[in-house]
Amino acid sequence: MAMTVLVVDDSATMVLSLKTTLEMSGFAVETAGNGQAALDKLKAGVKPNLVITDINMPVMGGLELIGKVRALPATRFVPILTLTTESDTAKRDEGKRAGATGWLVKPISGNDLIAVIKKVLPGV
Amino acid sequence: MASVAFAGSDDNLSGRACLSCDEPQGLSAAGNRRLRLARNRLLLQSLVGVVCNLLLWLSLSFVLGSAFTIHRLEVAVVFALLVLAPGMIAMRTNWVQAKRGIAELGEVGTLTLAQLAAIAARREAMGAEFKGSRLYIDVLHDQIGDSLSESEREVLDVIEQISLLNARSTKQREHIARSIKCGKDLNANTHTRVENNKQVIAAIEMQLQVQDEEFKSNFSRIEGLAGEVGALTPLIKVITSIAQQTSLLALNAEIEAARAGSAGRGFAVVAYEVRKLAVLSTQSAADIAEKINWTCKKVDEEMKAAHASLEQYQSGSVLSHLVTDLESMQQEFVKNSEVLLEVITEVDASYEETVTRLSQALGHIQFQDVMRQRMEHVQEALVEMRDHLQVLAARSDDPAWDGELQRTFKAILDTHLGRYRMASQHVTHQAVAGGAAGAVQSNAAIELF
Repeated sequence: MAMTVLVVDDSATMVLSLKTTLEMSGFAVETAGNGQAALDKLKAGVKPNLVITDINMPVMGGLELIGKVRALPATRFVPILTLTTESDTAKRDEGKRAGATGWLVKPISGNDLIAVIKKVLPGV
Repeated sequence: MASVAFAGSDDNLSGRACLSCDEPQGLSAAGNRRLRLARNRLLLQSLVGVVCNLLLWLSLSFVLGSAFTIHRLEVAVVFALLVLAPGMIAMRTNWVQAKRGIAELGEVGTLTLAQLAAIAARREAMGAEFKGSRLYIDVLHDQIGDSLSESEREVLDVIEQISLLNARSTKQREHIARSIKCGKDLNANTHTRVENNKQVIAAIEMQLQVQDEEFKSNFSRIEGLAGEVGALTPLIKVITSIAQQTSLLALNAEIEAARAGSAGRGFAVVAYEVRKLAVLSTQSAADIAEKINWTCKKVDEEMKAAHASLEQYQSGSVLSHLVTDLESMQQEFVKNSEVLLEVITEVDASYEETVTRLSQALGHIQFQDVMRQRMEHVQEALVEMRDHLQVLAARSDDPAWDGELQRTFKAILDTHLGRYRMASQHVTHQAVAGGAAGAVQSNAAIELF
């Protein structure tokens, strides 16, 4: 059974490009336009093996989402990768403290992304 | 003195604000209005003085009588010649000095009123331009926004196309995977069949060799038998000849025994027995000859059977050729199926490369999002610039404005440093504006905690 990745980004191009990249590599993909929409999906029963989220989003940002995902029992140990344009090390540290598994800076090539996913999801 | 030039020429007071010129040529309309008002007030004051004098004389004539008045008027004319003329001259001088005073009142520091008027004209023009910049900046802002929307739509279309291409490729890959499986199965099956057929062929060849040897052995034995049987024929002639000679000898012995009379009776019995034996020998020889002939006939039949077997063996050689051809065909088939499998595998590898390149292309497409964020920041900056220019335009019309601003362009620009997200934005900012490095930036594109 294919592993599921939840992609969270307010950019339609990012969502679609990531979805296509991941599906090409055999993943099932769920998408959300902001942190709140992602949280609603998780509460509705979506059980991702991995979450990839942007940081700066409307309604609910990525850092807040990470904290809330970590607070849910079902997703407490799910790896979370941030994919953002932020290069500020303070923000990066903030993400680390919130519980992010890794920090990726846009743009990232498909091969690099899959390589990172293989590191955080053993057995892929 | 600049003010003299102003006072000596009224033309200088009718200056115009030339918005399209680099240097304003004079006063604005409002300045001209104010100067005309001051001049009219001076003229009015002079007229009021003359009218007051006339009223004074008319009053004197009414109160004191015309004769007295005329007398007084004569005195007044003399007085006027002596006093009013200098007075008029003094009034003229006063008029000129008043104009000069107005001009001097317009001086501020080293600037003349004309220069102040030019500055005011420039200020008015700049204020108008500041106000006009709102539309200009709004257009730029919306142009950027529309470009971003358009580029986003186009990029989404590109991704959709890539997605469709990938879906098609995935289907093709499934076909290829099935083809590879079928090809491998076919190859393995063919190999198995070839191996089985090789064993069958080897068994057939072995059987053919055994048969060949048996045929040769049988043929050899039959030929030997035929030779031995053939070798009996002369013996039959010898036996027949012996039997005939024995019979002839027995006949002669009987004749001689008859000639001997009673003495030869015993001999006649022996001769008779010998002749019977000769007859039996002749009959036996005939039987033997018949049996030999029968045997020879059988040998001929066996030989024919042996020839038939030989022909069958020869046809067995044809089968062997067929088996060899079949094996060759199978080997050719195996070779071709392996080539086909290689081609299919190569197509599969090409698909893998296609997927990799599409994946790379999708990574590059993410630049659209990076560019969008940078351009959105530029849009925000344009809005700030527009609002700031509107503040400046409003201030320029405010006579109470002391020139102080709550925010300057530099202050606004400095706030951008705190709002940049990308290291590249900081680099561009510092390359143009210099200044402090701001927040610590990381160049690591991937970092796992």
